[in-house]
Amino acid sequence: MAGEVVGTALIMNTPAADQVIVAEGLGRRYGRHTAVTGLDLKVRRGEVFGLLGSDGAGKTTTLQILAGILNPSAGRATVLGYDCVREAASLTARLGYMSQSFSLYGRLSVDENLEFFADLHRVPEPQRQARKTRLLEFARLAPHRDRPARFLSGGMQKKLALCCALIHEPELLVLDEPTTGVDPVSRREFWNILYQALTQGTTIVVSTPYMDEAERCTRVALLHEGRLIACDAPSRLRAQMPGRMLELRARPQRRALAVLEEALPRSRPYVFGDTLHLHQEESPAPAAPLPDLLAARGIAVEQIRPVAPSLEDVFVTRLAGTAPPAAPPATAEAPPVRERTGLAVEVEDLTVRFGDFTAVDRVGFSVRRGEIFGFLGPNGSGKTTTIRILCGLLAPSAGRARVAGYDVRHEPLAVKARIGYMSQRFSLYDDLTVGENLEFFAGAYGVPRARLAARRNWALALAGLEGEEGRPTRGLSGGFKQRLALACAVLHEPEVIFLDEPTAGVDPLSRRRFWELIYRLSDQGVTVFVTTHYMDEAEHCHTLGLLYNGRLIALGTPEELRAGMRAGEMLELECDQPIAALALFQDAPGIRASFFGDRLHLLVDDAEAARAQILARLQRAGHRVHHVERVPLGIEDVFIAFIEMEQARRAAEAA
Amino acid sequence: MRGLIGAVIWKEVREIRRDPVTIWVAAVLPLIMLYLFGVALSLDVKDAAFAVYDEDGSAESRALAEAFPNSGYFRRTHDIRAQREIGERLDRGQARLVLVIPEDFSAKLARGETAAVQTLVDGSFSATAMVIAGYAAAIVQDYNLAQLRRGGAPPVPVTLESRAWFNAPLKSVNYIVPGLFGVILMAFPPLLTALAVVREKEAGSVQQIFVSPIRPWQFIAGKMVPYAAIAFLEMLMILVAGLWGFGIPFRGSLALFLLATTIYVFCTVGLGLLISTVTRSQLVAMLFALILTLMPSFLFSGFLFPIFTMPEMMQWYTYLFPARYFIDISRGIVMKDVGIEILWPQFAALLAYTAAVFAAATRLFRKKVAA
Repeated sequence: MAGEVVGTALIMNTPAADQVIVAEGLGRRYGRHTAVTGLDLKVRRGEVFGLLGSDGAGKTTTLQILAGILNPSAGRATVLGYDCVREAASLTARLGYMSQSFSLYGRLSVDENLEFFADLHRVPEPQRQARKTRLLEFARLAPHRDRPARFLSGGMQKKLALCCALIHEPELLVLDEPTTGVDPVSRREFWNILYQALTQGTTIVVSTPYMDEAERCTRVALLHEGRLIACDAPSRLRAQMPGRMLELRARPQRRALAVLEEALPRSRPYVFGDTLHLHQEESPAPAAPLPDLLAARGIAVEQIRPVAPSLEDVFVTRLAGTAPPAAPPATAEAPPVRERTGLAVEVEDLTVRFGDFTAVDRVGFSVRRGEIFGFLGPNGSGKTTTIRILCGLLAPSAGRARVAGYDVRHEPLAVKARIGYMSQRFSLYDDLTVGENLEFFAGAYGVPRARLAARRNWALALAGLEGEEGRPTRGLSGGFKQRLALACAVLHEPEVIFLDEPTAGVDPLSRRRFWELIYRLSDQGVTVFVTTHYMDEAEHCHTLGLLYNGRLIALGTPEELRAGMRAGEMLELECDQPIAALALFQDAPGIRASFFGDRLHLLVDDAEAARAQILARLQRAGHRVHHVERVPLGIEDVFIAFIEMEQARRAAEAA
Repeated sequence: MRGLIGAVIWKEVREIRRDPVTIWVAAVLPLIMLYLFGVALSLDVKDAAFAVYDEDGSAESRALAEAFPNSGYFRRTHDIRAQREIGERLDRGQARLVLVIPEDFSAKLARGETAAVQTLVDGSFSATAMVIAGYAAAIVQDYNLAQLRRGGAPPVPVTLESRAWFNAPLKSVNYIVPGLFGVILMAFPPLLTALAVVREKEAGSVQQIFVSPIRPWQFIAGKMVPYAAIAFLEMLMILVAGLWGFGIPFRGSLALFLLATTIYVFCTVGLGLLISTVTRSQLVAMLFALILTLMPSFLFSGFLFPIFTMPEMMQWYTYLFPARYFIDISRGIVMKDVGIEILWPQFAALLAYTAAVFAAATRLFRKKVAA
């Protein structure tokens, strides 16, 4: 055939040096609201660059400007050598972009979606089929080629959207929160596709609210209220953090936390599994006074050791001045500590069917009074349905559930009088003031007139909004809104409080402060039932339940889950060229490789056995290895192992 | 590999085919509208209630009164015995027309004088009242002619015989339906396209379009073509249904009519797309579509209310809405068999309008998420 050779006219529009993105003084205003201001960024070819920040920090605006689909109101940016405003048409034709929203066509099948994006980007026919096959194989979507996109799970949709953004093999991939709300297994597969693109030379810029994803980036930028707070490699950011992080194992833990919060408020102690983490500012200071301080209050300190700060620790330190102040210590206004024995929630064989779809499948667990129960699982796994049943809003199809001692099916009114509920959207009235919101919710929940003033003051203190009653709620930051919403939900002194993704979209420091409030409530004997997408928040809970496709597939304390699941062992590898090394392990049997900042994480069955094999492979390829070390497994790895076990069980059942 | 426009067309066709709402709006609603308007929206008078106050009571007066029901337009419901009863019958709507024959009616006729009769018409619906009055006058004139002939008098040398051209039986359906073609195509296709872009904006998929080599005109054209094809099929459907179902004669050139349709469908779907590119939510887009396309095509297109009777300012205003051009063309071809030599200004206006709409939609579709 004539004209057989279709050259992929790859115009190497290489700008000065190796900068793929150069942004100077970038700013964007919407009316009077400033979304981004004074942003300077440089991204090199071959990087995975992370953009971090809470909702409203300016991540999406920044990415849209860099993708050429939003004009900045100040500054300029050059991406792939093209000016983002003047040469937007050339730019948009060359990059891959994935918006935060659903970017597929729901009525088109998996295959048709890919086909359409291949058409849009003029991918020539010979390459097209090969790329489609490869991407679908890699995303594990090949068996679903003919399924309409709207019938895919959330995780599959995100993977497909990524495949669509990669079909023209762009030099630069810009991803806006691609994994929010996606289950951990899909999330891992999603990152595997990204690594694949990375090893082929694609530069990736990705925004994320998850700190563990930030750890996978070569460099990260932290945005807060439109400003760049920090920008560097994760390891460098960790090294630059003043002072150090200490891990403290003390009994009783709760008392230790209260003492530390009171005596060393600037150390911002927080619960991490069965330990406490705290920040010590003056770096070489001895850890000695700490045990003395605690011992004087009758607390037994079992162990103190320095630990590497997480990225979140780093950001919390950097953001310290911007978030709401730590909640004031419990005062006389606080409600009396409740009875802490007995069960607050008992669930047996709970099943909910909608038509022939089983949303919740024979779920059973119980929660002690005063316990913090973390309910985890991807979108659509049945979390919200379960909460609705426990709140008496929905009758179960089978099984039974008791909340605060009352049956949800037969005594829903008694249940409702004893529970509090806070939804993901902080159901506050934006047009009312802080005080008016409190008054409204007090009325709605029937707080007795005599208690009203005391509860109101208590709630204002809890939210950190004393003296701000007259402020319109609309103007509050996300962190304050979240605390006000919690205060409203507990005004009527409920025994059990349900928090449905209370920390979604809130910056790390506000999140951590919010957890302090949750501990305080728990101390007062309030049972806290909380759902979250953040796997790291799982560490803050006493007990965890992992829901997957309506089934409770794991239940226990974080430690129990870690110990009880053979999820494998993790090796951390530092070498000269981590991206090239990653390619080496991408299809190695028995090894799951992921990128971790400037290092690699290799998940293997047996670390000792695999170590030699890994080193040999690296040496053969001529890599210089700095060190290989076993590191503890993250809770997410444990969850993935549980989910994979469940998937295997289902596959066996189906067979 | 499809071209860029082809890619959008290919995608749209698949999406439309799988969307039951689109198929309803495109296929079923136009037929329902055609049926409802063709049947209900008739200005014709048939079997109108008619009462007689015959003070004369002669053979002549009875013959005159009989002529009314005999015409087929009136149904005699009451014989009125007293003067005051007349008002009552009209007030209650029991009679649309009252014929009053004075007691000296036959006497005057016998003397060869002119005898006056009175018809009282319920004028609450002015359009029907005029039709009724017209029929009454025609019946009376027929009666006169018959009288003259019977009396052996020489035929009246000149009588006025008016005939309604293009619509000899003066059936309103004959001009309502060709107008409806214009209205229906302005009602449903823009509604579909008004949602076509804004739906992608709401879902977020349009951002993927922004980040692709496609140019605005290619995207708009790709969206336009499949909907224009749907609208064209819609026209064929209502054309067949209208001509057969209502037995309307098609006098002019079908080819010319289809040419006009082709231009018009691009115009109407283009208007919808224009609305879709400037709005941000489906709700707003639908409201705009109703206000900018459906309403004016009812009110200011000459579909129901003749433009030449409007105040001059409003007459100018009607030029803003393309339905008026198409309805002129449609009635011209279907009813009068006029050709391009008469209709060219309307064709030119329609063509210019369509081009302007396309240009505006292309210009306003910017590949940016915010201004």
